[in-house]
Amino acid sequence: MATDELIRVEHLTKIYERGDIVALKDISFTVKRGEFLVLIGLSGSGKSTLLRCINRLIEPTSGRILFDGIDVTKASAKQLRQLRRRMAMIFQHFNLVKRSSVLTNVLAGRLGYVHPAASAIHRFPKEDIDAAIANLERVGIPEQIYKRADELSGGQQQRVGIARALMQRPDLLMADEPVSALDPATAHSVMQYLEQMNREDGVTVIASLHFLSLARRYGTRILALKDGEIVFEGLPAEIDGKKFKEIYGEEAEEVEVR
Amino acid sequence: MKRPRKSKSGSRPLALRLAALRPRIAAFLLDWASWGYIAYGVMYLLNKYWYLRYVDFYGRLTLPSWGWPLVILATLELTLLSHAFVQTIGLSLFGLRVLGPDLRRIPLRARLRRFIVQHAVLLAQPVALFRDRPGGLLLHDSPTTGRMHLVARVKDEMPPEPPEKVWRTYRGIFLAGLLGLTFWLGWKITTINLQMLIERIGKSGHIWRDLFTPHFTYLTEYVNERGRLYSITYHMMETIFMAFFATVTGAAIAFPLSFLGARNIMGFNKLGWLVYSVMRLLFNVFRSIESILMAVLFAVWVGFGNPFAGAMALLLHTVAALGKLYSEQVEGIDPGPLEAITATGARRWQVVVYGVIPQIIPSYLAFTLYRWDINIRMATIIALVGGGGIGTLLFYFKNEVGRLPDAWNQVGAIVVSIVVVVWALDYISARVREKIG
Repeated sequence: MATDELIRVEHLTKIYERGDIVALKDISFTVKRGEFLVLIGLSGSGKSTLLRCINRLIEPTSGRILFDGIDVTKASAKQLRQLRRRMAMIFQHFNLVKRSSVLTNVLAGRLGYVHPAASAIHRFPKEDIDAAIANLERVGIPEQIYKRADELSGGQQQRVGIARALMQRPDLLMADEPVSALDPATAHSVMQYLEQMNREDGVTVIASLHFLSLARRYGTRILALKDGEIVFEGLPAEIDGKKFKEIYGEEAEEVEVR
Repeated sequence: MKRPRKSKSGSRPLALRLAALRPRIAAFLLDWASWGYIAYGVMYLLNKYWYLRYVDFYGRLTLPSWGWPLVILATLELTLLSHAFVQTIGLSLFGLRVLGPDLRRIPLRARLRRFIVQHAVLLAQPVALFRDRPGGLLLHDSPTTGRMHLVARVKDEMPPEPPEKVWRTYRGIFLAGLLGLTFWLGWKITTINLQMLIERIGKSGHIWRDLFTPHFTYLTEYVNERGRLYSITYHMMETIFMAFFATVTGAAIAFPLSFLGARNIMGFNKLGWLVYSVMRLLFNVFRSIESILMAVLFAVWVGFGNPFAGAMALLLHTVAALGKLYSEQVEGIDPGPLEAITATGARRWQVVVYGVIPQIIPSYLAFTLYRWDINIRMATIIALVGGGGIGTLLFYFKNEVGRLPDAWNQVGAIVVSIVVVVWALDYISARVREKIG
C-alpha cells in the first residue's frame, strides 16, 4: 500500500487507570510521508502520551493507529517489534545508557535487526559497526566513540540519541521534546540534524516542542494539544496571537528562541 | 492536567469505590492497632507493678469474659474519637485529612457532630458502599461539614498553611508516647537490671583475663583430638572458603533470579506478575530464615561439623538476600534507557542486557562485597549448630573449660584470629567498594 499517508490515528483515547486521568480524548489525525509535524501544547497536554501510543510504549485505551496501513494497536509482539524498528524515537532526557560507551549506545539501535544470540554477547556485524561510526561522523562527534555516555555534554548526548535513531534506518522519527533540556544554540544544532534527516533521508518526523518559535522554524505542519484534545491543526503561519492564547492559555506570552 | 472524575457521568464500578476506601481502612486499622498496643502496654504494666487480679498462676494476663469485648470497644472508640478530632498517625501516613468544603480545618463542634454521626450510621455503612454519590462514599461525611480528603488530590487547591512543629502536633506527642511506652515495656519484659550488671562484675573477670592472654599453641599445629580437629589456620581456611563459595555461587544464582523478582521487568502481563510474586515470596521466606537455622538442617543432612553444611546454609541465605537486594536495584534503575531500547524494536531480554545490566553492575558488586562481609562473620559461628569452620575449634575449647587448664586462653587465640581475619577482609572489601562507588 503505497499511499502518501504514513500514519493514521483514529479516535485514540488514553485513560490512566491510576487516578482516573484522561490523557488523550478521541484524537484523530493523519501524517503524510515526508512531513515534519510539530506537536505543541502545555506540559501535561498529552504530547508525550500521544507519541508513546504510536509505538505502544504506552498501551492506548481505545482507538486505532495505522502505520503504513498496519494496525499498530492490534500487532502481535513480533509484529510490534518489526514495526518499532521502522519508527525511531529520541527523548527529552536522551535516555542513553549512561554507563555504556557511546558506540554501544548507538549500536543498540540495531537490536531489532541483529541476530539475537549474537547480541547477547555484544557481537554486532561489521557493517553495523561501520554504520555506527558513519552515523557518529554524521552528527559530528566521531571522536567520542569510546567514551562513556555520561561523560558527554547534553547536546552531544542528544546527538548520540540521533545516531542511535539513524541506525534503525527508520521511516518515522518521533522526537519527544528533543531540545527542552538543551541551551538555545545547541537546540538549533540538534533541530538541524532532525531537519536534515527529514529533507535528505525522507524520514517523516513528529516532534513535540515547547517553543513556538522552534515549531514555526522547523515544522511543516503543527498540531496543538490542550488537555488531551486537538485544539489546532494547520500550517505554522496560521498561529496568530489569538490562536496562541487558545493553546497556551490567557496568561501566556510568547518567548523566542533564536 | 484536569482530572475528570467518572462519577460525574455515571457511577464508578465497585472495585474502584473500594480502592478509594483503601487508605481510610488502612489508616483506621493502623490507629486501632496503636491504641491496642497502648491497651496491652497499660495492662502489662498494671500487672507488673500492682499484680492486679487478672493475672493467673503462671503470670499470664487474663481478663474476665467481658474484658476483651470491653478492650476492643474502648480501643475502637478511641480510634473513632481521634479520627474525628485530630490528625492521627494513620491519617497522615496514608495522606488523609478531614477538611471542610473550603478545604480548611472544620470547627470543633462539627468534629463532635462527625464523631456522633459516625456511630449512628455504622450499621447502614455497608449499604452506602454500594451507592455511588458525588458527595462521598461514607455516610457520616455528608451530614457533617467535614469530609475526609486524600491530601494528594486536593493539595493544589488547599489554602496555604504555616508549617507545623511536629513535637507540638497530636501525632508527634502520640508517637513520643508510643516510643516511651515501648522503652518501658522493653525494660520490664527483658528484665533489664543494672544493679546485677554492676554487682556481679567479678564473675566473668578471669575469663576476660584469659581471653586477652591468648595461647597460640595450635595456630599451625595439628590437634586431631577426635580425628576431626585441626589447626586454627586449617579451620580458618575452611571458614574463608566457605564464605567465598557461598558468596560467589550465591551471587551467580541470584543474578538471573533478580530480574524475575523485579516489577519493572516482569510486570507486563499476568504470567510475569505471577513469577514476580513467587520470586519475591521465596526471597522473603528464605531471607527471614537465618543461615544458622538452615545450617541445623544441613548439618543433619550432610553431617555434623562438615563445612559443606555451613556452605550450603550460607549459599541458600545468600541467594535469597542478594536476590531481594538485587531486584530492588533493578526496580530502582532509570526507566528512560529501557523505553529507548524497547522503542528500537528490541526483545525484552535484549532490553535487560543492554539497558538494565549496565546500570546495576556497580551496585551489584557493592552488595556482593557487603554480603561477603556478612558471610565471613556468619561462617565463624555457624559451627555452633554443626556448620563447620573455625567455630568448630572455638566451641570445642569452650566446652573443654574445666578439663583443660588453658581452655579460655585457647578460645582467646581463636577469637583474636577471627578478629584479625574479619577485620582484614572487611578492610579490603570496604576499599574495593569505595573504588566502585
